[in-house]
Amino acid sequence: MANAFTALYIAYTIVWAGVFVYLLYLFMRQKAINKNIEVLKQEISKHGK
Amino acid sequence: MSGWKLGRHWNLLLAVSSALVLVTVLLALFYAPVPSCSVKTANELASSMEGSRITISGFVVGLDVSDDVWLGVLYDYNLTVADFSDYARYLEAVRTGQLDGQWWTVSPVIVRVTAGGWFQANGPYLSVGAGSNVSATGVVVIMPDLTSVVLRCESGYDVVELSSPGAAGIMTAPIAQKIFYFHMPSAWVSYVGFFLTLLFGVMYLRTRDRKYDRIASSSAELGVLFATIAIATGPIWAKEEWGVYWRWDDTKLVTTFVMWLVYIGYLMLRAAVVDHSARARVSAVYGILGFVTMPMSLLSSRIAPLIQSSHPQVIASSSGSLSPEAGLTVIVAVVAFTFLFITMLIKRVEIEESEDELEELKRIVGGEE
Repeated sequence: MANAFTALYIAYTIVWAGVFVYLLYLFMRQKAINKNIEVLKQEISKHGK
Repeated sequence: MSGWKLGRHWNLLLAVSSALVLVTVLLALFYAPVPSCSVKTANELASSMEGSRITISGFVVGLDVSDDVWLGVLYDYNLTVADFSDYARYLEAVRTGQLDGQWWTVSPVIVRVTAGGWFQANGPYLSVGAGSNVSATGVVVIMPDLTSVVLRCESGYDVVELSSPGAAGIMTAPIAQKIFYFHMPSAWVSYVGFFLTLLFGVMYLRTRDRKYDRIASSSAELGVLFATIAIATGPIWAKEEWGVYWRWDDTKLVTTFVMWLVYIGYLMLRAAVVDHSARARVSAVYGILGFVTMPMSLLSSRIAPLIQSSHPQVIASSSGSLSPEAGLTVIVAVVAFTFLFITMLIKRVEIEESEDELEELKRIVGGEE
């Protein structure tokens, strides 16, 4: 039975690690893109277009 | 294209999804019952049978494609989980879905008869065909890995190997069954994701509107994520229940693996094509063609439920014995994962929009220089 519990916890860890790591990846990716957009917008406004 | 940018509303959606997921965890761990069909653990089962002399009999379900193996169903010894006295009743049970409702015990005991000297002496397969009655008497021998039970026969067939106790329909690790409450919803949302890839791929080809390509690609990425989770958690249950992580002779497992590879290919294809419109067009066509693997995976264990797949069929029939507590947990889990999928899809599409905006700004800046 101890093995079955271990299997259960491993499976649950995989599920939630997968979901949360992906969510984290989405947040970080969006943050990086938004930062780049901001920089480019500033650059465009500086050059008047 | 700012319709996907929900801002605070998205945060609310994430909060709702998280709450539902938390409820699912609590229900799965503390509310859903441990399946009552648990008979014995593998070790108990093995020790109780070791050395005992038994007669097994039944009828042949079908022939395996390999050279020297055929399959039969047993119905009259003490570990029987299905009671079908003749082949016609068995076929009728398959046809009417009677077997579907037997929670986690959808497969009658299936034996694999491995050919030995007797078979070789009498020719391959002899005249045994589907529906033929078979019987054998012998002493039970437990294999060292405890995953199979072998009957050494004195007459008739040389070796009768039962499938692993779990695959034979006897639950050996009922606690591990709780993996199902996350494994099945993960598989479900991956199917939804791949269906959306098809749907929005078709819409892109019809309209050439870039927003449909964004949804299609985002759906595919999420589909792969959840299919990966399903494929990773399934073998953990299988190891406990079947004694092995994976079975390459199981159609459900193999077709799901193929589907997963196909959509990994979809993502690789998108990464390889640089031009936006070409990437959208090619991946839409690929998504449409690749979708054929989805129904193959979804329906494989239902089309050939007993012979080619011992993967449990999770949709209970009207006469099914799924307990109300387990049923409620399944429903909440599916709703929670669907919400989670929608939440992630919105964010993923929003990121695609932002990437397009970034590309456009880069183009403007590049043009100025």
